[in-house]
Amino acid sequence: MTFMLTCPICGRRELHEFLCGGQERGPRPPQEGLSAEAHFRYAQFRSIPPAPQPEWWYHGQGCGVWFKATRNPATNREERPGG
Amino acid sequence: MAMLRDYLRPTRLWAPAPIKPHYQVVIIGGGIHGLATAYFLAKTHGIRDVAVLERHYIGFGGSGRNTAIVRANQRTAASVRLYDEGLKLWPVLVDELDFNLMFFNSGNLNLAHSEAAVAAFRMAIGTANFLGIRSELLDPLQCRELIPALDISDRPEHPIQAGMYHPPGGTLRHDAVVWALAKGAAAHGVHIHQGVEVTGIDTDGGRVTGVQTNRGALQCRQLGIMAGGYGTALCTLIGLELPVHPLTIQAMVTQPLKPFLNHVVSSGAYHVYATQTLKGEIATGAHMDPQVNYTTDPTARYFKHQAEALTDFMPVLKDVKFMRTWAGLADMTPDMAPIMDANVGFDGLYLDVGWGYFGFKAGPIAGKYLAEMIARDQIPEIISPFGLGRFLENRYAGETAGAMKYGHWDS
Amino acid sequence: MARLPASPTQRIDPSRPIRFRYWGGEAEGVAGDTVASALYAAGVRVFSRSLKYHRPRGLYGLDGESANTFVAIDGVPNEAAETTLLRPGMAIAAQNVRGSPERDLYGILDRFDGLMPAGFYYRLFHRPARLWPFFQERLRAMAGVGVLQPSGSRERPGRFERYLNAEVAVVGGGPAGMAAALAAAEGGGRVCLFERRLHLGGHLDWRTRLVDGQPLHRRATELAARVAACPNIRVFTHAPVTGVWGENLVTGFLICPEGGIAREYHYECRARSVVVASGCTERPLVFEHNDRPGVMPATTAWRLAASYGVLPGRRAVFAGGDDSSLEAAIELAGYGVEVAAVADARAEGHDPELVAAIGEAGIRFLPGWTAGAARGTNRVTGVELRRIDGGRAEELRCDLLLANAGLQSLIGPLSTLKAQLGYCTRTGMFQPTRLPERAFVAGSMLGLRDVAAIEASGRLAGLEAAAAAGWDAESQIREARDAVRNAPGPAAGCFLACAPGIGRGAKAFVDFDEDGSYKNVVESAQQGFDVPELAKRFGGFGLGPGQYHVPGQNLAMIMAALAGTPLDQLSGTTVRPPLVPPRLATLAGPGLAVHKETPLHDAQAALGAIFRNAGAWHRARYFSTDLSCREEIRNVRANVGVLDSSPLGKFRIYGPDAQKALQRVYVSDMSKTKPGRCKYSAMCNDTGNLMDDGVVVEIGPGDYYFTTSSARAGATVEWFRYHTRHDGWEYQLVNLTDTLGSLNLAGPNARKVLAKITDADLSNAAFPYMGYREIVVGDGVPVRCLRLGFVGELSYELHAPSSYCGYLWDLIMAAGAEFGIRPFGLEAQSCLRAEKGHVIIGTESEQRVTLTDIGMGFLWDSKDTASKKVGAPALRHASGQTDRLKLVGLRIDQAERRPEDGDIVIDGTEVVGYLCTTRMSETLGWQYGLALITDRHAPEGGTVQIYSNPRGTPSVTHGTVVAPHFYDPEGARLRA
Ligand SMILES: Cc1cc2nc3c(=O)[nH]c(=O)nc-3n(C[C@H](O)[C@H](O)[C@H](O)COP(=O)(O)OP(=O)(O)OC[C@H]3O[C@@H](n4cnc5c(N)ncnc54)[C@H](O)[C@@H]3O)c2cc1C
Ligand SMILES: [Zn+2]
Repeated sequence: MTFMLTCPICGRRELHEFLCGGQERGPRPPQEGLSAEAHFRYAQFRSIPPAPQPEWWYHGQGCGVWFKATRNPATNREERPGG
Repeated sequence: MAMLRDYLRPTRLWAPAPIKPHYQVVIIGGGIHGLATAYFLAKTHGIRDVAVLERHYIGFGGSGRNTAIVRANQRTAASVRLYDEGLKLWPVLVDELDFNLMFFNSGNLNLAHSEAAVAAFRMAIGTANFLGIRSELLDPLQCRELIPALDISDRPEHPIQAGMYHPPGGTLRHDAVVWALAKGAAAHGVHIHQGVEVTGIDTDGGRVTGVQTNRGALQCRQLGIMAGGYGTALCTLIGLELPVHPLTIQAMVTQPLKPFLNHVVSSGAYHVYATQTLKGEIATGAHMDPQVNYTTDPTARYFKHQAEALTDFMPVLKDVKFMRTWAGLADMTPDMAPIMDANVGFDGLYLDVGWGYFGFKAGPIAGKYLAEMIARDQIPEIISPFGLGRFLENRYAGETAGAMKYGHWDS
Repeated sequence: MARLPASPTQRIDPSRPIRFRYWGGEAEGVAGDTVASALYAAGVRVFSRSLKYHRPRGLYGLDGESANTFVAIDGVPNEAAETTLLRPGMAIAAQNVRGSPERDLYGILDRFDGLMPAGFYYRLFHRPARLWPFFQERLRAMAGVGVLQPSGSRERPGRFERYLNAEVAVVGGGPAGMAAALAAAEGGGRVCLFERRLHLGGHLDWRTRLVDGQPLHRRATELAARVAACPNIRVFTHAPVTGVWGENLVTGFLICPEGGIAREYHYECRARSVVVASGCTERPLVFEHNDRPGVMPATTAWRLAASYGVLPGRRAVFAGGDDSSLEAAIELAGYGVEVAAVADARAEGHDPELVAAIGEAGIRFLPGWTAGAARGTNRVTGVELRRIDGGRAEELRCDLLLANAGLQSLIGPLSTLKAQLGYCTRTGMFQPTRLPERAFVAGSMLGLRDVAAIEASGRLAGLEAAAAAGWDAESQIREARDAVRNAPGPAAGCFLACAPGIGRGAKAFVDFDEDGSYKNVVESAQQGFDVPELAKRFGGFGLGPGQYHVPGQNLAMIMAALAGTPLDQLSGTTVRPPLVPPRLATLAGPGLAVHKETPLHDAQAALGAIFRNAGAWHRARYFSTDLSCREEIRNVRANVGVLDSSPLGKFRIYGPDAQKALQRVYVSDMSKTKPGRCKYSAMCNDTGNLMDDGVVVEIGPGDYYFTTSSARAGATVEWFRYHTRHDGWEYQLVNLTDTLGSLNLAGPNARKVLAKITDADLSNAAFPYMGYREIVVGDGVPVRCLRLGFVGELSYELHAPSSYCGYLWDLIMAAGAEFGIRPFGLEAQSCLRAEKGHVIIGTESEQRVTLTDIGMGFLWDSKDTASKKVGAPALRHASGQTDRLKLVGLRIDQAERRPEDGDIVIDGTEVVGYLCTTRMSETLGWQYGLALITDRHAPEGGTVQIYSNPRGTPSVTHGTVVAPHFYDPEGARLRA
């Protein structure tokens, strides 16, 4: 279902202006001594509970910023403080 | 006469059964995969102490929402082998289950709109023919002979350059497959429990021991997660991370028309496939919402997109009207191939996820080998290319050529 | 048929006749008619034949509730007669008819319904298997409704669509919706009001009943005038809403009046708040032969008379379940219909005023009675009325049977909005139990019948909606709440699931479109499909063109009755969008136009370029009909050619941390860039796949100019920022791709051509291979000039402001004329670069191969772990692996059928790889190939088998593995 996202710069905009960069996984781990398994887990293994989770979004059809938003895949809506 | 009486007085396809506190095998998910696995476990391997747990009604998931396109012209040989066997299983099931699955062997025409796409077709066609499966390259005129509705001029935004025609493919009636498998499984003693939702998975010392449900706890020795797009959510219950992203995929049908589209037609550039159902509707879909999502809500945007695309390359549809749209989950892996694996993270845990939008055509054949995997606790050779470990080894199955962008499914 | 005398409720103009054709004959309607009202007035009663049994079907609703009245108009199938306005000259034909609507050859099928129990086709025709294709074709031919006429026309109803924003959107232009719009508008916000019918007014539109001394239709006109006068309300009539989607996005289409901007157009309205006031319709009464022409909801007959001036019949029997039927009876009697009896499924609770009026009119009133069976075939000729308790029955003659089981709410917009709905045991309707954010409901769909109460609820919803959109309306809301509280509340509904005494064999239809009968519901339940969602799928209830409208609530009620489920636990089926079916071309609007043109498009077109889509662009692929491009290639190799490479990605990155960002995304050591020099490098993803390649030039301290492949131009900013998102680095990145065009001047004579149009020193010493210079060309065009060699010859890439590119092109063509310069296209470029072994991303690379696998590992600075280069861990891991695909060169044997791009490489029974690019090269004199094959087969000198079989005849060609640099491997020509 269509929803809207809040860009920290442009405000609330239509979903189709944005691109999803997936779940937040924290910064890239240090590469010194990083095992292949640890790397691939970081790069593409995810746990996706049906609950609010932080994600990265890119305002591609707008200001071009990556920002974190919290969204719940069970409702497919952004969780905003104060609704 | 008795036959006529049976026909006119049909009885229940699958009988309700009491929930037992213990089963040898519990399967989560009353879709094609879960039901087919249960059916083959009971029928082929004599394992009848099996429960299929379905939180809503059977066929609630992708199995009751897909567009039921079947084909075997995949990109790589490993997949072609599996899907080809799957294609050959339909008539066997129709007979075994005594249920008309309405296999419409229409053949599939895929359209290329660029030289690169033509090369990709040659690769798939070469692979198919080399493995004994019919598939051929057509020029635009030949495409139009198959589907007169196509505009093969240069007026469409993506002019048609060639087609890949795959005669063995077609469509079935998706719900019929679910019901027939339920009928067959129940007849062999499998318990099908509708309205039973798994809320927890019990483990003990690295072994799966049972599940928690809204109707109480059930113990089992072997547990199959065959919950389609919800498999990722279930895996979070035991901390199992997967390279799988559940996205919604949307489909829609037009009002019914007399037959005019006699083949499945699809196009990557337009993100569209279309078929005419036996009832006369044009069933069409292909687009996915690009963020993970457990809802089954369609979107206004893709509904509109579908109209833009269809009227562009089949302008004769311009005055046809859309009647209904819906959506389901497609659990996407980065290489667009599924994950079938045994003893994943825990002994006794069998995983079947990541079928994306290919899981209908492979449902019964996957069930056949998943049953073998559970019965023998050993991975059958034909599905061995689809283990979870490939993603930790950087050995993609190559069902799509596209390289992944940010780790989730986004090509 | 003559129309009734003029009356204030009429929406027609009998003084303006409209001639049309029906079923081969001439007919006449009047201005304001719909196709349905005109046909009905012309005496048509059987409109179509039903899907399974070919039963005669007539006019049912007037808002497109079923496929009964689908007709073909001017060759367009499946047009809803009730909602299509009559236009002069229309050619109208009935559908699904063999013979004529009245005498249909397949009508005989109706006798065999006993042989077609629910889901019969799942249990028939499949044995023996070889017969199925035969039956399948018969079934296909029987199914479907309209016939699509082949046509190559791309004409659309108008290339127009409309995007709106509003504080409040109101769905439904009845009294509640209008009151809501007026109230919401008081706050000053923008209000959009959407109504599917041609006029505002809802159910007041045709009612003459006096309330507070005023006829109701007058009240409707009054409200409509106020709405029209309100400057911040935009009214959209004849504009059905197709859905209300997430966060209050209202979509629909508007059917324009004659001479409008389009025939129809799609609209979308993003509203802060939404008010749903979509009203009610009559719930169809399920009884034997309830589908006979002449059986219809009371409102249909009433509107035919009141709005269209058509006398719907001579003698009517009512079998209702709501006060509206009582009112209809009085009104129709007033229009001259003889009302034989008014049965009402409710034993009590009727509006005493209406009951009295019925008595005064001398009409027989039968509370606690309903219709049990209709008589007649092509027309209803009578009815058997039955007592609800099954006690008694009575036969009556009639030609109009106006039946319902009370009202049901039009929950469509609420369902698409994902409101939670529950069955209300007072009103007997589905009603919202939980609404999503900023969504409100008003009007008769809440069970309200009193007009003042309906308006009050509309006002309250409008105020609440405006408040949710930001207007402080607290005191107004308080007052409005009191008004609602003081007005009459919801009326008691009708709870009849179906007529009493329905027999097993009876054809009592729950769904007209799919011929789904009560018996089929029972059969579905018996086979295990015992909840509405399963029965819907098994028996096909609500899957036809009318969707939910006819079977929706009845299916739920009947299934609950069969299962003994208490009414308060009743659950329905999901109503899915579109609520009203839009035609595809209307929904598509202007349609697709996704490709860009380069600044050199016209210049190339003038030279005969053949364009193809390439990524986001239309690009020149060939400059002659010789698709092997022999001349273009030869000219570059031997002389000089020019390519429009404008789509190439062009960027500037600068700032204190710019270099760190480059180090992160490029695999090479980017601290080694130098002013005036191009540094070639590549980008990978986290699995080590090649994502991009290009050159980076240092143009100042912490300031770089770089190029990317055309395909990646759109994703580069995103990519850089993504991979540095946790770092907080300070750099600016600007995409110059569309700002700067690009021409690639290539060939041994390239220097001579360029020298003619610039004063810059182009000598090899001053401007060597991989050099970068900012030069001035012609009359002062600033050009960034990169000396690169993608095609393997001396070449200059000229990046210039897009607006100057045409001029630059002309300059070059003029300067090159004496050398025989020619443009070349993408195909020639691809051949030229492949001879050189230069890869194209996505052609020689794919997800199974890493940078190292395709022989570009040399670019990777493997010692650098500190920069956390994207892809480095994967490259490290893969470097120790075997059994991977590798990029190799092939020298392919002469063959009658030459292998082509995409052909596979085999070994025994195994597929071991495929040809990415292969061409018969005139330059080399043999056919080369770039192939991805397993490392076992990759060592140079080995032979492989290439299998081609595009059209059913296999051929195998041999190739020898060679280094993938076929042409000028030392690179002498680039450096010349
Ligand atoms: C719109 C659309 C079109 C498609 N088109 C095609 C096509 O043309 N061809 C093709 O091959 N494939 C297609 N697919 C893909 C295909 O439908 C799926 O891959 C396939 O149905 C998966 O089957 P399944 O049995 O694994 O899962 P599902 O059918 O999704 O079944 C999983 C079941 O698990 C249940 N469940 C989930 N969680 C729990 C829990 N906690 N407890 C109990 N039960 C639970 C769900 O209710 C569901 O019924 C399409 C999919 C969609 C959505
Ligand atoms: Zn922004």
